[in-house]
Amino acid sequence: MKRQTHLILALVVVLTMPLLMHSGSLASEVLIYGLAAMGCNLLLGFTGLLSFGQGIFFGLGSYTLALTLTRWPLPMPLALILATVMGALGAAIVGWVVIRQKGTYFVMLTLAFAQMFYFIAYTATGLTGGDNGLMDIPRPSITALGRTLWPLTSPWQFYGFVAAIFMAAFWLLLKVSRSTFGRTLLAVRDNEERAAAIGYNLKLLKLQAFVISGAVTGLAGALHAMMTGIAPLSNAEYHTSEMILVMTVIGGTGNLFASVLGSAFYLLLADWLSTLWPRWLLLLGLVLIAISLWMQRGLWGLGETLWSLVRGKRTRATDKAIEKLVVAASPSGGNGEQA
Amino acid sequence: MSTPILLEAIGIKKYYGKFAALGGVDLKVRANTVHSVIGPNGAGKTTLFHMLTGTKTVSAGRIVFDGHDVTHIPDHRRVQRGIARSFQVTSLFLSLSVRENLRLAAQGIAPTRAMNCWHEPEGPRSCAETVASVLARLGLESFASVPAGNLSHGQQRRLEVGMALAARPKAIFLDEPTSGMGIDDLEDMKSFIRSLRDEHTVVLIEHNMNIVMDISDTVTVMQQGRVLAEGLPHEIRSDNRVRAAYLGNMITGGKA
Repeated sequence: MKRQTHLILALVVVLTMPLLMHSGSLASEVLIYGLAAMGCNLLLGFTGLLSFGQGIFFGLGSYTLALTLTRWPLPMPLALILATVMGALGAAIVGWVVIRQKGTYFVMLTLAFAQMFYFIAYTATGLTGGDNGLMDIPRPSITALGRTLWPLTSPWQFYGFVAAIFMAAFWLLLKVSRSTFGRTLLAVRDNEERAAAIGYNLKLLKLQAFVISGAVTGLAGALHAMMTGIAPLSNAEYHTSEMILVMTVIGGTGNLFASVLGSAFYLLLADWLSTLWPRWLLLLGLVLIAISLWMQRGLWGLGETLWSLVRGKRTRATDKAIEKLVVAASPSGGNGEQA
Repeated sequence: MSTPILLEAIGIKKYYGKFAALGGVDLKVRANTVHSVIGPNGAGKTTLFHMLTGTKTVSAGRIVFDGHDVTHIPDHRRVQRGIARSFQVTSLFLSLSVRENLRLAAQGIAPTRAMNCWHEPEGPRSCAETVASVLARLGLESFASVPAGNLSHGQQRRLEVGMALAARPKAIFLDEPTSGMGIDDLEDMKSFIRSLRDEHTVVLIEHNMNIVMDISDTVTVMQQGRVLAEGLPHEIRSDNRVRAAYLGNMITGGKA
């Protein structure tokens, strides 16, 4: 039972969002960026790689889906698979280069690739539509033998579709994180030097992590393009990379479900703040500062601390964490419950 | 001692720019012995150690291990040949449990398993027997579930050696395994290292003469990137060149 906790938590989120939220698009977006943040978490939280290049794979997914559905009308499921493969392929190419460096230079390399990809997308107007992006992406229904099984016209219908894909991807990623591979990634995260000394090929491990991360991010990008009906240049922009990274950190690293929390928190907060003040990103900055200073384990860490408090299992570590929380509570605690 | 030669280094040189850290070192290590390499700071002990374990590449020379030329094989692949090492500065997976540390080390001899994205490390994939036997040998059974970062310094030093042991290597390379240890832990570590040679070959880099003299079968003394002398511990102790080189506290057994 305990092993399935995360899967159940994810299912609870998927099932309760339609009950609590008005906008099916916003709910879909939470799951879509949740996927992207999980891909980022696999690199950051499990492997210890800070990648600013996630927007490349997100953008690749968006463009691939847009092109396959508009220019070479392929069946929609096939277009999604192709977008996933393109995300993986992009990550394999980027990963192959960037894993040659560590630390600062690794981060700089991912940044350089993100910038390059943006300008390529901007310049290659024939393929990407440049500044305008690709528009009028259809959202075909799911059909079998000429009969419509699942129309995706309304936002909530589309949400159901995204939710099914999300749960499948979540289950798969959970399996990867618990596999021999996932457990070895933690060793790489903790101590690269030792991991190499006991026989592991760091480059191969990191490359595989990149490919899986790119695949799920590409899938997220494709779903995003389907949702909005456009594949805009902004999906390939540096800002998308940054947003995915911020969601991952807010949720908490090293835990896949935390990424869903991060995505939900970010998007719901943004949705709410943007109605209050056009300069809402500034307020988001404050939240990020609070998390960096007092809540480095993210929302998941906060949840764990509160949970142990409820169960009376107070340890010295949680006591310390709670002390810090009291300070941090004002800017982030109250809003966190919305997620 | 006339066991076969397990490791042979021939004319190992290492340059950093124009500086020769190693100026042509020959070394023969016999199987199932404790072979110590000693020398003052800057003698090239650790550089030699890095050459032998493959952490860094040689500028010239050859390394033959167990009948294979391993000179150009990177460190992570030398593990599969039967070479394992411990670090001078404790280097563990601090957030992972003691058991998981050892499991990862045991799994390292079949690293393709690490690419398995589907199966959890259970059953035959868990290396449970190796992990259990190393835990028992280290006396850390009751700490198996504790994160390595929460162990005491002495326990971490023991786990550090255990990480090498878990790969069930032919040869274990230990880089100052007693560094920073208290007197009580020191004796334990000495008898522990001594016991390793029943199943393994031990190459020991040490600064502390006392430890080396008690537990070594062969001692190689290095100075300024070259081998100064080699022999049985008592021969080394009475060797005039060594005495001349180390006259003073090290050879007489003062605290090094």
